[in-house]
Amino acid sequence: MRRLRLIAPILAFALIVAACTDDDGGGEGSPTAAGSPAGENTGTVNVLSAVEPEENEVLQNIADATINQDQSDYTVEFEQSGNFEEQVQIRSQGGTLDVILLPQPGTVVQQAQSGNAIALEDMGFDIAELESTFGEYFMSLGEFEGKHYGIPSNVNLKSMVWYPKDDFDKAGYEIPTTWDELTALSDQIKADGGTPWCVGYQSEGSTGWPATDWMEDIMLATAGQDAYTQWIDHEIPFNDPAVVNAGELFGDVMFGEGNVLGGAENTPSVAFGDAPLPMFDDPPGCWLHRQASFITAFFPANAEAGVDYDWFPFPSIDQQGTLFAGEMMVTFRDAPETRDFLTRFMGEEVQCAMGEEPGSSRISPNVNVESTCYPNPILAGASEVLSTALGGEGEAGFDASDQMPPEVGSGSFWTGMVQYMRDGPDSLQSVLDEIESSWPA
Amino acid sequence: MSSSATDPDAGLPAQTSKAGTALWLSVLRIAGALAIPVVAFFAMWATFDFLRSEDANRVIVVLVAVVVGVFGVFFLYWGMNKAVDLLPFRYREGVRPWIFVGPCLVILSVFLVYPVINTILISLKDAFGQEFVGLDNYRFVFSDDSMLRSIRNTLGWIVIVPLFATVIGLVYATLADKLRRGEAVAKSLIFLPLAISFVGASVTWKLIYSFRPAGFGSNIGLLNGVMQGLGQDPVAWIQLRPWNNLFLMVIMIWMQVGFAMVVLSAAIKSVPDEIVEAARIDGASEWQVFRRILIPSILPTIVVVVTYMVINAMKVFDIVFVFGNAEADETEVIAERMLRWFFISANQGRGAAIAVVLFVAIVPVMIWNIRRFREEESIR
Repeated sequence: MRRLRLIAPILAFALIVAACTDDDGGGEGSPTAAGSPAGENTGTVNVLSAVEPEENEVLQNIADATINQDQSDYTVEFEQSGNFEEQVQIRSQGGTLDVILLPQPGTVVQQAQSGNAIALEDMGFDIAELESTFGEYFMSLGEFEGKHYGIPSNVNLKSMVWYPKDDFDKAGYEIPTTWDELTALSDQIKADGGTPWCVGYQSEGSTGWPATDWMEDIMLATAGQDAYTQWIDHEIPFNDPAVVNAGELFGDVMFGEGNVLGGAENTPSVAFGDAPLPMFDDPPGCWLHRQASFITAFFPANAEAGVDYDWFPFPSIDQQGTLFAGEMMVTFRDAPETRDFLTRFMGEEVQCAMGEEPGSSRISPNVNVESTCYPNPILAGASEVLSTALGGEGEAGFDASDQMPPEVGSGSFWTGMVQYMRDGPDSLQSVLDEIESSWPA
Repeated sequence: MSSSATDPDAGLPAQTSKAGTALWLSVLRIAGALAIPVVAFFAMWATFDFLRSEDANRVIVVLVAVVVGVFGVFFLYWGMNKAVDLLPFRYREGVRPWIFVGPCLVILSVFLVYPVINTILISLKDAFGQEFVGLDNYRFVFSDDSMLRSIRNTLGWIVIVPLFATVIGLVYATLADKLRRGEAVAKSLIFLPLAISFVGASVTWKLIYSFRPAGFGSNIGLLNGVMQGLGQDPVAWIQLRPWNNLFLMVIMIWMQVGFAMVVLSAAIKSVPDEIVEAARIDGASEWQVFRRILIPSILPTIVVVVTYMVINAMKVFDIVFVFGNAEADETEVIAERMLRWFFISANQGRGAAIAVVLFVAIVPVMIWNIRRFREEESIR
């Protein structure tokens, strides 16, 4: 009896636990699982994304002005969610997901793997045509077991070097297009008493990520797209000679006497958003800053594009590399209206309208969209570089750290770069060895 | 609990029905223990369903939540207590405690026992919680450089933070006790930081430690302001390994001194004046009074304060996380590693293994704490 008294409550816990978990599962799924049969027009196409509410509104406005006006079979609804990943998980199981915008190609493959996403081949899309529109490389990022699952819908350029245009022109400097010209320029700046680079890697818990972009840019421009992809897929080790070479070139810039404002060892203490600010001092505290297009949000409010600052593409080394990041559309419901939506949304007309929208900083991955679609000169220039790169000229590469396993891509790679900056040029091999050893088996 | 449950058995009349009565008693107990949680669960389920419907008026939703939450629970217990009164007399007092303890046990098991068991299971599985991998994750915990550093750092935290916070708090409480005027103000000043969240305090201290290399404008950090005032070069405090660990501990000490001071001050005030005065009359110096009278009298309180701080220091996470890439700065602590592996590096197995290690490390402190508490109770 005594023993029974002890067992009884434990049994009771077990029962309650079981009851709770079962109820939760049933409760979540049932009200939302409407389950309309595939192929039937439901009258709406829902597009779920993780973009900011403002951007979502811009997307909705564009869709209202174009797709929703041009036909009456269905309406497009853009929806953004703060807990996007969770929503996708729940709704893909419930079967209430139409189209989602995914910012990372790795997750496109995950969706394909889970069996809920629908292959473009199965929806009747002509892959060859898509590849000529978005470039073979970008399309290949959404490929799983020989089928494609993602259509690129937005792209942004990372290989950008910013400079203080007015002072730059006054000093008579020329925009470098090769690594040698860049080195010559930075020597000239130093000879004139200036400091070439402003660099900052501090970003709270993610400190180090801007340095990984540097490495990726140099890796693309030296080893090329194939080696770059092998590096991401771990077909070559992280301490491969090609990566060591890129690391050495990176080190040449960072550790060169007087190259970096404040010195390389202090770059992990400088917030990445504060890093470009000395460029706007008079005279400029530094002349060059490498960062993706979003950095303009951190520039001083009165700085004017094309006057106070401008940019040039990261110079070629052994070849021209173009580092970018972007977004892909993945479909979960095969129906005439989703197919029609995808065709219209990726088409030149809608994409061009998006470029003209002043509130949008989206750049179209569709290489046929003319740069004249963008009134903003920075976006227009970036779009030109991207269209050329995606079209197959030079070496395009999607952000590597975003595609590597998180232990590396948002862990040891960041940390390793910080250690490299702090411990100096001789630490390169040991840093790369350590990142290699952190790669999950 | 078991001792009180055996009491009613003693008063039972007939020998023959004893077994049957005991069986009934257990059944009733289980039913009683489960009744409140089950009723509460369904009441809440219905309420949540109502609260979830989006077109309901917000004011009504809030009212319903308050009424069901507060009065519902009260009436549930009250009703169950009445129901027990309806039972035959010999069952009543055997069942009643279970009515009140049951919900607590159920909630504890759902929110504590089940997660612990599940975490241990996950810690034996791979990154996605799919396949069993044996003790691989534990091997990682005790071999990875960064993990070993986090264990070292956490040890530093649990020694240094309680030591300094308690000593400073004790000295401050003793001195403040001797103040003729302004004791409340003096204590409030030290107590204030305790009102700030860990994250808030960390952000404040981030400004104190702030560093900008030459060329990035003037240094706004308090410490570097002092350094420059003394004609020294500014220092990147947070990059200064291994001292940056101490700089982070200072934040927690700053926050916890107030707690130690308030608790110890209360203990000091409860030391009878007669003892202190008798010592003084016998010619004891102030130091001797402090060392031989005060400290021994408040030792139990000191122990409670220290254990509380040891447990807090073991769980420290916010401060380290706010200050940036802990791995690069070598300021990792166990709780920070756990979150990092679980969520940022998306490796459930390793995250859970670290959680289990942290849990196991805290258990002895808890047991010691409870044992001391029991000893004191028995003295009283």
